[in-house]
Amino acid sequence: MKLKVNGQFVNFSEGETILEVASKVGAEIPTLCHDARLNPVGACRSCLVEVEGSRRLVPSCYQKAEDGMEITTENDRIERHRKTLFALYLTDQPETREQAEPHKTNEIFEFAERYEAPQNWGKMENIREDREDRNPYVNFEPETCISCARCVRYCDEIEGVSAITLADRGSKTTISTVDSLSLLDTTCEMCGGCIDVCPTGAMGEKIPLTKNAKHERELEKVRSTCNFCGVGCQLELNVDKEANDGKGQVVKVTSPPVGETTNDGNLCVKGRFAYEFINHEDRLTEPLVRGEDGQFYPTTWENALEVAAKGLLGVAERHGADSLGFVSSSRCTMEENYLVQKLSRAVFKTNNVHQCAAT
Amino acid sequence: MTNSIGEIRDADFLFVIGSNTSEAHPIIAMEMKRAVKRGATLVVADPRAIWMSTIAEKHLHINPGTDVWLLNAMAHVIIEENLIDEEFIKNSTENFEDVKEAVKNYTPEEAEKMTGISAEDIRWTARKYATTKKAGIYYTLGITEHTHGIDNVYALSNLVLMTGHLGKPSAGMNPLRGQNNVQGANDAGATPVFYPGYQKVDDKEVQKKYEKSWGTSLSPNLGLNLNEMMKTAGNKIKAFFVMGEDIVLSEPNVLKLEEGLNQMEFIVIQEPFINETTRFADVVFPSGVFAEKDGTFTNSERRVQRVRKAVEPPGNALADWEILVRLANACGANWDYKNPAEIYSEFVKDTPKFSGISHERLDTEIGTGGKTGLQWPCENPSETGTKYLHENGISRGKGLFQAVSFEPSPELPCEEYGLLLSTGRTLYHYNAATQTRREEGLALKQSEAFIEIHPKDAKKRGIAHKEMVEVRTRRGSIEARALYSRQVRPHCIWMPLHFAEARANVLTNDVGDKITGTASYKICAAEVFKLDTKDHSHDIFPGAFFFEESPELEKELS
Repeated sequence: MKLKVNGQFVNFSEGETILEVASKVGAEIPTLCHDARLNPVGACRSCLVEVEGSRRLVPSCYQKAEDGMEITTENDRIERHRKTLFALYLTDQPETREQAEPHKTNEIFEFAERYEAPQNWGKMENIREDREDRNPYVNFEPETCISCARCVRYCDEIEGVSAITLADRGSKTTISTVDSLSLLDTTCEMCGGCIDVCPTGAMGEKIPLTKNAKHERELEKVRSTCNFCGVGCQLELNVDKEANDGKGQVVKVTSPPVGETTNDGNLCVKGRFAYEFINHEDRLTEPLVRGEDGQFYPTTWENALEVAAKGLLGVAERHGADSLGFVSSSRCTMEENYLVQKLSRAVFKTNNVHQCAAT
Repeated sequence: MTNSIGEIRDADFLFVIGSNTSEAHPIIAMEMKRAVKRGATLVVADPRAIWMSTIAEKHLHINPGTDVWLLNAMAHVIIEENLIDEEFIKNSTENFEDVKEAVKNYTPEEAEKMTGISAEDIRWTARKYATTKKAGIYYTLGITEHTHGIDNVYALSNLVLMTGHLGKPSAGMNPLRGQNNVQGANDAGATPVFYPGYQKVDDKEVQKKYEKSWGTSLSPNLGLNLNEMMKTAGNKIKAFFVMGEDIVLSEPNVLKLEEGLNQMEFIVIQEPFINETTRFADVVFPSGVFAEKDGTFTNSERRVQRVRKAVEPPGNALADWEILVRLANACGANWDYKNPAEIYSEFVKDTPKFSGISHERLDTEIGTGGKTGLQWPCENPSETGTKYLHENGISRGKGLFQAVSFEPSPELPCEEYGLLLSTGRTLYHYNAATQTRREEGLALKQSEAFIEIHPKDAKKRGIAHKEMVEVRTRRGSIEARALYSRQVRPHCIWMPLHFAEARANVLTNDVGDKITGTASYKICAAEVFKLDTKDHSHDIFPGAFFFEESPELEKELS
């Protein structure tokens, strides 16, 4: 099947939405409530486009593409709509961008700037109920909530625990839990998906907030693989390069975009939040060698390596190579495991090498 | 995994056995949840009720250790009702007659007595599995951590072969790997019987190949597996080099292991933190964690993915690979690797299945199935890897049926030790927890060790909910908090392995599977004793999913 986007023909298959088809030719359409993993709801009205023959603008995230459609994603009418929409959203956001996004981009301000929406339409009084929650990871800022329900839908449709919900009515509507319980006391498994999908920061991450991390614009994102279970989720390690006397510090972990990796934008509680061990004060910083008194003493690499080599070679000499055991690690890299088995086989001449996954 | 993780969402039948997926593999669980939402049928076979069983069509609440009875009975039904894929069996497998003969006496009615699962449910599951095209099996350590672990795996693969559920998308046999790089560590040859790429140590040709590549003579003797090394520590084994494992927390029967370690002549440990095992070490090398080094991890679906250095290690700590190079050279070698990419190139030179993969490709190309990373086999740089295995016929030529018969676990409850103990992981910690217990948030969610015990068993022993108890087996005893739980069956208890102050592995049995050596972490006989502390009031979050004591149950019990 075929349709036209901004005058250009595009092929598509049944079931695809206008948004999906339009993105194939690089048409830029703003979205807030949309997430490729979720059932579309067409709630935020950001993605409206013009369809030939239709009197009203249509939500492209929701509307399925049809054969022969002629779609326009940029014209005066759509531009007017976007300016008005984001200007209206702005009236329900904090005064300044700095207030609205302490460490993560607020997409309302982003789109308002991109589409040059008027910023002087005044501010509505914030009447949403503030909430404190003693959980360690998720921070609620009801003031910036736009009721797009991405977080609630994620919690329900993807994580499947339905721990959060829309509460209250009308312009007081915001995110809460059953009986306003702390997330710690609900079915929440702390995957943090709500934080990740929130376009404004109404659901935000607590650790960077409480530790005054820099804004994500000033952080470097390093793509890596999670070091916990065997799913192999891809992570973006958000690094403050200047922290830690220039050694750098991981101050946040985010997921790569939906669709690019096996984890499809998802992470679990450990992948997303268990990164503070990296910079923990208990980390070993010097090689240790046991002294005659039985205590460990910090020493140089040169000395530690010499003691280790002498010890291992000595045992091999006294009792034969097969009296040595090499325990490698399925927590370490492939390359490191390769080196351990080579060390065992080629240097010490024994096949006594295995790793922790065996038990 | 023969399939890819991304295929799970399109499966129509998921048989999850011995896997607490939502806690041990949360992101794979999300894919399963998605399949169920779409209309797929999920059957969970597990001795515990788990989160996944709440959305399952059926939860087969199996008696621990009786998996072979369940699986052989399913095979019995599939054969009896002629739901087999005759063509696939004829063209692609061998030895079917052996299995047909072996499962003859495994009727669902007999299996019901052994497994505790109704004959009707066994029949229903067998039919549904055999008759659904996109049917996948997913399992983890609940299958393998038994003295008959390999029999369990064979019994599962018999089901796969007789139904032809292999070599297709969303249909296959999928062990979910426990650690980030189980697959990669095995691929690399960190095993006593294989050189890199699963080439046999006792194959003279392979030995010669590596003698040439590495420019040195090599030992023709098969090595000891981990279980054997641990059991002979201090005796046959006189020195250990241990990288990245807290063995006195993770290995079974650790008090015995500790005695062995005290007899050792020399121990070198390479770790980012002081752990329980370092107190036995002569030398400790400070190593970098994943964020401080380059390399690759290979996930459950055989996908090789990059690990990238984001920050510098603290103080004088070094990445593990750098330490290994220095240690080898201190021992007289002459290694000169400038970076992990060079090590990877050396690895693929002699391992054809991987020879199409390089760091450079991983860094610059979109991988298998349009996603980051390349899935092996990937034999040359023009290929984009293999999404699911056995598409063009089974790789060994013919799929081999392996007849298995039930063997009871060696240590079952008795008069003195009246309960059956299984151990496992929770969502909020990871293995020895040297990393996760240093996270303040996770500690808030789950701060201390616990055992799940059925209220009936607890009350019989005068134990209150959340009371401290002593858990004892033939090998040792620990103290932990008892939680009334209906997740476990009566006469069964369950505890996590993560807590150094209440090491589950003081209790576990170190008898291993006859072939793999994998220890019987899932079954041993235990007893629980009330302790005289008045400390009941503790606030504890036992896990992601838990039955609290309810008034209805109270009534039922009294």
